Amino acid sequence: VNFLRIDARPARIPAWALSWFLFAAGVSAYFFAAQARHRENPDERVMPTVSQMATAFEAAATNPPGDQDGAESPKSWLERFRSSMLATDTLATARRFLISVALLFPAVLLGLHMAMFPYLGAFFLRFFQFFDKIVALSLLPILFIAFGIDELSKIALILIGVAPTVILDTVNLANSVPREQIVKGLTLGAGDFTIAYRIVLKQIWPRVMNSIRLNLKAVMLFLFAGEMIASTDGLAYRIALLRRHMGMETILPYVLWVAFLLFAVDLGMSTLNKKLHPWFVE
Amino acid sequence: MSFGRFLILLAALAPATFAQKPTFTVGWSVYVGWNPYYYMQKSGILKKWADKYGVSVKVQRFDYAPSLDAFVAKNIDACAMTNMEALDMPAAAGVDTTAIILGDYSNGNDAVMVRGGLTLAQIPGKQVLIVEKTVSQYLIERGMAMNGLEGQIKKMKYLNTSDSDIAAAFMTNPDKQVVVTWKPMASQIAKAKDVRTVFNSSQIPGEILDLLVVRTEVLKRPDGDKFAKAITGAWYEVMGQMTSAAPDKALTAIAEGSQDTLASYKEQLSTTHMFYTPQSAVQQVSAPDLKQTMDLVRKFCFAHALLGDKTASPDDVGIQFADGSTLGKADRVRLRFSPAYMQAASQGKL
Repeated sequence: VNFLRIDARPARIPAWALSWFLFAAGVSAYFFAAQARHRENPDERVMPTVSQMATAFEAAATNPPGDQDGAESPKSWLERFRSSMLATDTLATARRFLISVALLFPAVLLGLHMAMFPYLGAFFLRFFQFFDKIVALSLLPILFIAFGIDELSKIALILIGVAPTVILDTVNLANSVPREQIVKGLTLGAGDFTIAYRIVLKQIWPRVMNSIRLNLKAVMLFLFAGEMIASTDGLAYRIALLRRHMGMETILPYVLWVAFLLFAVDLGMSTLNKKLHPWFVE
Repeated sequence: MSFGRFLILLAALAPATFAQKPTFTVGWSVYVGWNPYYYMQKSGILKKWADKYGVSVKVQRFDYAPSLDAFVAKNIDACAMTNMEALDMPAAAGVDTTAIILGDYSNGNDAVMVRGGLTLAQIPGKQVLIVEKTVSQYLIERGMAMNGLEGQIKKMKYLNTSDSDIAAAFMTNPDKQVVVTWKPMASQIAKAKDVRTVFNSSQIPGEILDLLVVRTEVLKRPDGDKFAKAITGAWYEVMGQMTSAAPDKALTAIAEGSQDTLASYKEQLSTTHMFYTPQSAVQQVSAPDLKQTMDLVRKFCFAHALLGDKTASPDDVGIQFADGSTLGKADRVRLRFSPAYMQAASQGKL
């Protein structure tokens, strides 16, 4: 058999089964370990059972946050979800996330200009190369002075952590556009900005979007760090609070929910990228 | 080395490894009343006592929350924690837990501090920097209740702030007017100008207790019993050094456990009611006050869902006291206060 060879061609069904194997193994390993722990200790909290997690997730998606559940007014399912703990937390985190990702686009433009205009490159490049290596989390007290401890400091933390990487990556991508194209543009009489935007940016745009996609996890990581340091709402705020009493039956679904949302954003960006740039092949 | 030889070497080493003395791990985190664990290990006092009882004891420093996680997950055998966390973390998670050493109570270490002459009554509605759902929240809500402001507690607006950043966050943000935290952060904040303490733990003496807890199942094993005796013996030897005629050498070494200076450590000790002698600890743990305290604590925990969403009543997590009486369901005792080891220490039986 040649199934371990480079030129192996797995059939559809075995390939599909293989791709789900580790998921199944992970879930069943968890399931058995949790069952064993629950047999030993009926009040077990570290590894909640699947049904406990389902109940907790449902409660999170239907009950408003807060210690006391107020007067239970009979509302439609959608209304209850909109005022639920899960929805308010997700909304707070999503707002910060989207603002931060949106602010990464000016960073792309800065990187582009740094690559195109040598004087701008001379001015910024060395600084960002240095800044990129700064561990932003260790500068928190200074961030607090500059940006307070409300929304602004959380977004600043993300940008300080992620923007230099995006800028430097954009510079590299822009520099990788063959010099001949720029020379050709110049000889055909194109202006500086026409070359920067219509020739270079246009070509590197799909790669830039991939670069941002790869940095989404870093964005989320910094956002979680920020919310755990000081906040009154958000997904990471809730996880930090639940840890105080081992609320793993809610924490685990929250972690999966975050993973799902990130996956959805990533998939969305990748689809958009393909739609916008059908000519692009890696 | 070939793989075969490696296996032979492993086989030769194995019996030596397995024949070792039973090993126990104690988790602690930086706090004035727990730093002695660091010194206990470093000075060799712990090893002396462990050898006496034929066990091996390891002391490991954690951040506070992870130390609780490790204890609940049964990765460590004993852990330093407050009475409130002993109830809402291991006990509420079904891990039967016994407090064997009552080390101290916070006598001003935890404080509610405000800017610009704010009073307790003015706090509701203002943002409060706090590590939510900890003794800090217990403290401020007890403070409100004791000053007839119980009805205002619902209006409190907490800003959950990590303890490692809370001092910087408060001091660099003049628009935040209230902070609740503990020492050493509290000492740092108190030095800032225009900051005043409006309530602190010396006004609720004996309610925030610092304990050493051990899993009850470990205590029930013969080697676990020896471990408890060894650690208790070592603890009171350290306490003896702290109160000796010339304590500074020991205190300096203890302060090192939290990278503190001697002066700063002494300042923290001044607001900590240490039970230096086993007699005083036994007395406190046997006093009826403890029942009232634990009743307040369990009601607080229950009201804030810290006992878990499934827990229908505070009685579901039973607490047993030195005299054998219980709070809550006697068939669901999860937290026990045992004076046995401290008693043995006071009678010189260790």
